[in-house]
Amino acid sequence: MKAQTGSYGEFERLAMPLFDSLYNFARWLAQDATEAEDLVQETFKKALHGFSSFVPDTDFRAWMFRILRNTFLTSRTGLRAKLTVELDPADEETTPVTWETPESLALASATREALQAALDGLPVMYREAVLLCDVEEMKYQEIAQVLSVPVGTVMSRIARERKLLRQMLAGERSVRSGSARK
Amino acid sequence: MTNCSTWQGRVASYVDAELPLPEMEAFREHLATCPDCASTALALMESKMAVRRAGNRYAAPPELRANMLHFAKGEPAVAHNAAGRDREGYRNFTARHWTGWALATAALLLLAAGLFVAANRRQSAKAVAEFADLHVTALASANPVEVVSTDRHTVKPWFQGRIPFTFDLPDLQATPFTLVGGRVAYFHQEPGAHLVFGYQRHFISVFIFRDTPQLAMPASFFADNTSSFTLRTWTQQGLRYVILGDANAAAIASLTELLQHAR
Ligand SMILES: [Zn+2]
Repeated sequence: MKAQTGSYGEFERLAMPLFDSLYNFARWLAQDATEAEDLVQETFKKALHGFSSFVPDTDFRAWMFRILRNTFLTSRTGLRAKLTVELDPADEETTPVTWETPESLALASATREALQAALDGLPVMYREAVLLCDVEEMKYQEIAQVLSVPVGTVMSRIARERKLLRQMLAGERSVRSGSARK
Repeated sequence: MTNCSTWQGRVASYVDAELPLPEMEAFREHLATCPDCASTALALMESKMAVRRAGNRYAAPPELRANMLHFAKGEPAVAHNAAGRDREGYRNFTARHWTGWALATAALLLLAAGLFVAANRRQSAKAVAEFADLHVTALASANPVEVVSTDRHTVKPWFQGRIPFTFDLPDLQATPFTLVGGRVAYFHQEPGAHLVFGYQRHFISVFIFRDTPQLAMPASFFADNTSSFTLRTWTQQGLRYVILGDANAAAIASLTELLQHAR
């Protein structure tokens, strides 16, 4: 079953099923089609190059997404996104997830377009955890690997991002987009 | 019975399926008795579903896929590859189409399971919830069915050697139903058949297992009118059939009828 690590066949078998997800996530990060393509290409290149360092039977998906995200963060757009949004250190700590009434959670009533606009409006760093959780269906542990943060931070980030989305949709907040182009 | 306040901080972890298994079970039981937690969990699950729909937004250019495929194979990139386009379309169907639907169903099932437990015995509620999980988990996965075929003469033999029994599938010609495919499912370590049928825009799961006491369930179960989620179950020649989906009750009844008379 286990092919030789570093072989093209094994890399293809593991990487190609992730291609669509990686591209979708790259678009959400870069917010630009050309840049997303570059990101995916760069990610594949780096991943194949470093494939020998990938430990078999560990989480390949998290490894690939982590490479993609790190590639983005060192790109011009990524650096700008990081600078635009100065993360509040307090936010990064594990905060208990607070109880909210079902009414306040009414995000589902939003249209797809409204929700996409709200996601667009969030700075990149404020939507990646929820996208990995809800769109990619990653476990907290995987997200922690992608974002290089502890699991507790992942949980509070997801909670925060969901809350921000709800506030955006309710018109209670308009977050300046750190990733908007031009 | 654990106090409600201990659960309130964990609703998100429950909805994200991040609680340890015993706690998932315990939470599910709590949902049956607690409308507050149940409605919060439902709202969160719906918002998860909404984010998924919105987040699955960008389809990759087929040329990029072709290039990456060649690259992964260690071959030179090419400008265009028709095969890549086909696979793209397929992925769109499997992953994106199915997950949205499955999550919608998940939300309904959660509600349904909650309503159900309030009025019924725990053991059977557990079986209902477990089938709901099987249904949702399978359909939310990248490959909902292992054998993709509308032909019952392909699907039935596929299960031979994979499950410890055989069953008959109805002829669906001149019916509003289509066979989508099948996969092997496990209920308490016991392999069985999971068949997926299409009906209008709905997908209906049919599970077939050798009958055991653990599979005891009420003959039919309907959630409230708004969710129109339906489950039916019966035994036939030592086999337990479970049919569930969000199609209307009449459609479920009609497919039940077809299955009962399959030969
Ligand atoms: Zn409660």
